[in-house]
Parts: sequence; structure tokens; C-alpha cells
Amino acid sequence: MAISIKNYTNRFIVVTILIVMALWAAMFYAVIMEEVYDNIDDGLKNQKILIIREVYRKPELIAESTEFGVNQFVIRPVENATEVLDENVFSKELIYMPYDKEEEPYRILRTGFYDAIGKPYYLEIRTSTVEEDDFLMDLAISLLALYSVIVLSILFINYFMMGHAWKPFNQILKNLSQYRFGKADSFVAVDSQVREFKDLNNHISDMIQQNEKVFDSQKRFLENAAHELQTPLAVSINKLEFVLENASLSEEDMIRVVEAKRSLQRMVSLNKSLLTLSRINNQQYASQEEVHMQAIVDHALTDYEDLIAYKDIQVDQEIVSDFVLMANRDLMQILVSNLLSNAVKYNTQPGKIRITMRADSFTIANTSADGALNPNYIFERFYKGSQDHNSNGLGLSIVQTILDKYSFLVIEYRYENNMQVFEVKKLM
Amino acid sequence: MKVLIVEDELALQAGIREFLISEKFVVEVASTYDEALDKALNYAYDCVLLDIMLPGGSGLDVLRAMRDNPIKSPVLILSAKDSVDDKVAGLEIGADDYLAKPFHFAELLARLKSIIRRNAQDGQHLLHYKNVSLDPELREVKIEGMPIILNRKEYDVLYYFMLRPNKLLEKSTLAETVWGNHADQADNLDFIYSQIKNLRKKLKTADATCDIQAVYGIGYKLV
Repeated sequence: MAISIKNYTNRFIVVTILIVMALWAAMFYAVIMEEVYDNIDDGLKNQKILIIREVYRKPELIAESTEFGVNQFVIRPVENATEVLDENVFSKELIYMPYDKEEEPYRILRTGFYDAIGKPYYLEIRTSTVEEDDFLMDLAISLLALYSVIVLSILFINYFMMGHAWKPFNQILKNLSQYRFGKADSFVAVDSQVREFKDLNNHISDMIQQNEKVFDSQKRFLENAAHELQTPLAVSINKLEFVLENASLSEEDMIRVVEAKRSLQRMVSLNKSLLTLSRINNQQYASQEEVHMQAIVDHALTDYEDLIAYKDIQVDQEIVSDFVLMANRDLMQILVSNLLSNAVKYNTQPGKIRITMRADSFTIANTSADGALNPNYIFERFYKGSQDHNSNGLGLSIVQTILDKYSFLVIEYRYENNMQVFEVKKLM
Repeated sequence: MKVLIVEDELALQAGIREFLISEKFVVEVASTYDEALDKALNYAYDCVLLDIMLPGGSGLDVLRAMRDNPIKSPVLILSAKDSVDDKVAGLEIGADDYLAKPFHFAELLARLKSIIRRNAQDGQHLLHYKNVSLDPELREVKIEGMPIILNRKEYDVLYYFMLRPNKLLEKSTLAETVWGNHADQADNLDFIYSQIKNLRKKLKTADATCDIQAVYGIGYKLV
């Protein structure tokens, strides 16, 4: 799943800060503990000097200090004094403390001394020291709190600052989604003080201009090519008509000429369809008026009545309500005529055409031997069904191009009860 | 009858010229804007066939100049553009009809004749062949003076035959000129056959001395 850029950096920040803080905490702990023991040990050593001085002054103190009392030290005589008697040995031990009712860590200095008359004594001084586990726990809790505050602050700042900083970007995306090919002004550039977004804006605008230019020149090329073909086609067809007037032509030659002419005729019809397509794209049918679809259908049916009668097609009309819309009349005529033409052309013989008119839709259905068509392809240019010999494959593509001009209209294809159904309807 | 062909495409111009001469028209030609303007403004024609895209200017401007002067010669616009705007503009300025290139000579002739007929002062334009007469004004067909009933399309078909009796009329030309573009379907040739059959039957029943004859399965001619 894609993640927003606002949150993308967060996981790195969270992990990095965690690692940095953990390392820092370990170092901090080590340094602090070192300092604490150093301090305590200095204190113990100092106490040792004070005790020895006191013992020199008041030798009776030795006898009073054989057990730990208020003074937290003991002095015991030593029988076999070694040479290293006055060496300082530090250790840490757990000793029961009545206050806490549990064993607590103590720092203990074990050493020895000679009294004024040279008699060796063993000296042990102890003092309560830091509870490392508690200290560690406290440190961890404080650091966790600090960590949370830092991370939350960063996330918070990120969320609002990044949200603000990326606003133009989101706007650019939104405008880009509204851009329609063929309409250069449908992309609105977004004003931003951020250089990257300015660049992005400019690049997109340039790209669109470039594409539109290519698209335009292609449209023009198509139209010009189709135009330029008309005259040579007219000349060729007319010359062949002259040849056909020539009575001395043999039957075979005559049929050849007619076939050549028929091919040219197909080219003419293809050319006309291409011109119609490019004209629709070039906004040549811009005018709009209130169009009553029923009248258009009636007119188209009159155009096809002979062919319909000849193919023995039964036309059923169901008029629930007239479909009235604001559109270009010529385009609506082309639309209906193309759909009806297909309904006649791809019908069975005898067959049926069912036309349903509602206030917001118009449906034309025909019996067919073809089975369901692939709705992904039928509206594409030059797509042809299996039994097609004489179609140029542009009829439905023209229908689609017309509907593309009216965003409130869509066409739906379905295969229902052995009938090909095309429904043009208003979007609600 | 005198016709001016304004067409810059010389091959097409020659073709139309040859065809119209064979149909007993007196033909003059112009291939540029200036030439067209000069001839259209200085001579009277029964019809001017006017191309829109000309070297040196637009055919529509020639038409405008004619109507401003005013020269009444009827005008049939021939255009490769076949655009709605051009058509509307042309007819608004005062053209009599509009024919998109490429066209069949049969259709050109039909349009030309009907323009000339509409603009002529003397009303006598009945077409005769053998014992059949056709009145384009009333869309009425008589055999030996007896009217016969034809439907709209049958009349149109017969009109094309009567314009050029004894000349081959191709099936595809008939389909396009009478039934329009929507008849250019795979089975249109059988369709035309059935339509012609009905017309032949009606002519025969009314004892017409002419008949529509199939030519090698290519088309038909009125004999």
C-alpha cells in the first residue's frame, strides 16, 4: 500500500531516534555510574583518614567499634598482618536495611591500619550506594518519556508542516486529473513559491502544450489528408464512369471497371467517416439546441424504411416519454442514424428492432446471429465484427466520439434475450 | 444550355466538361478566382458550378460578388470540404444547391437539371421517353397520358433513368443517390434488384413501351 510522503519519513525518524537515544543512554549510564562510584569511594577514603585520626586521638574508640553501629564502620584487631594491610579494597554488597525491609546495595571499603603503638587493625567502612536497578529503571522511564515527546513533536510538526508544504503538489495532482486531452486550458497551473513545485508546474504545462500541438497537427493532418483525397477520388470515379459509358467494352472489362469503382467508392465512404470524426473533434458541431430524440428517430426510420421492409425487419417502438436534451441536432442525427444503420445491417432476416424511448434514455435493440460482442472493442476505430464485409469500422467510433462531447451522455452495450442492445442515457 | 464550371483541379474540370458536353450543354470553364469572377460577372449562364477552394480566393466570395451585382445565374456549389458551415454559408449567400465531392455524374446531372428547371421562365420541362412522360414539377408520371402511381423512391429511380435513357446506371450509384449513404450496405445490390423489380412491374402493367434492362449484373438502363 502506498504511503503518503507526509508519513514516509516518519518510520526512519522513529527508528533512528530510538537507536541514537539507546546508545546515548548506555553511554550516559556508564559515565554517571563511574562518577557516582568515584565520588562514594573518595568519601569512603576520606572517612578512613578521619577514623584513623580519631583512633590516634582516642584509642578507646577501637574497642567501641567492633560492630557496625551508628558509625557504619568496624575495627577489628588483626593477628597475622600482611604487608599490604593498608591497601584499599572496594566492593559492592547487598545488606539488609530495616528501613526498606530488604537488602540494599552498599559500597564497602576494606582496609587496615596500624595504631599509634604499631598494632595492626582491620577496618571496614560501608555506605549506602545508588540502587543501580532503580536508577536504570528511572533512567529508562525518563528517556522513554523524552523519546515519546521528541517523536510526537516531530510527527506533529511533520504532519502540519509537510501537509502545508505539499499542498501545491496535491493541487497540481487534482488539476492534472481534471485535464482532458484535446483541451489545453483544462489544466490550471498552480501558483507556488516552492521551486520544485514551480518546476513541476512548468514541466507539466510544457508537456501538455507539446502534446496538444502534436494532437492538433495530427488532427489537421487527418483532415487535410482526407480533403486532399477527395479530388483524386472524384477524378478517378468520374473517369471510370466515362469508361463504363463506352458500349464497346467487353462484359469482363466492364465488371472489372465496376469493381474498381466500387473499391474507390468504399474509400470515399471511409474518407467521409474520417472527415466526420475529425470535424466532431474540431468543434465544428458546436451549436446547441433543444433536440427531441423521437423526431430524430422517426426521421431516421423513414430513411431506412425501404431497407427495413426489404430485410423483413419488424420495428417495435415503445415510447414512454420523449427524450429531450440540449445538443447539436446534426450530431444527434448522425448518432441515431449510425446506431439504426448497425441495427439493420447486423440484423437477421427476418428480424426485429426494438426502440425504447424514455425521458432520460434511448435504447435500440436488434436481433442478431452474432452473439454477445466484446464491449471493450466495439467502440474502437476500425474494429470489425466477424461477418463484416462492407463496413469501414467507424460507425460506433463516431457514436463514441459524439458522446465524448457530451459529458452527461453515455452509451451502454449489453446482450440481452439474443438481442444486441445499445442504450444512450443521461447520467443522473 | 450554358454552364460555367469553376474548378481549379484540371482533371476534374475536364471530366465534368466532357460529361456535360455529352449531355448537350454548352460549357465554359474557369480555374482561378479572378477568372471565375470575370466570367461570372460578365456573362449569363443557366448554371454556375462553383468550387469553394480556388487559387486566389474563395468560391463563396465569387458567389457574394455575383449576388451583390446582382447576377441571377443559379449556382451549384461543388465542394471537397462537405462541411456544415460551408453548406449553410453557401446557401445563405444565395447558392441554389450544394454537392459534395466526389459525386456521381448522374447525381450532378439531376441536381443541375432541377436547378435549371426551377430558375427557367418557361415551365415546359417534361421528360419524355417512348410513351412515358415525367413531370419533375408535379412529380407525376404518365404513360400514354394515363398517370401511374409510384411511391417516392420509385419516382426518384425512374427520374434518374429518364434523365439519361439508354445510359448505364450502376446499382451502387442508384443506391447512393436515391437511398442515400445508409444504403451502402453489403446486401444493397439485392435490395436494389428488388426495388427495380417492383418498378418494372408497374411500368409493364401500365403498358409502357420502355423497360428497365439489367446490364451484366452491373447496373440497369432504360431501353
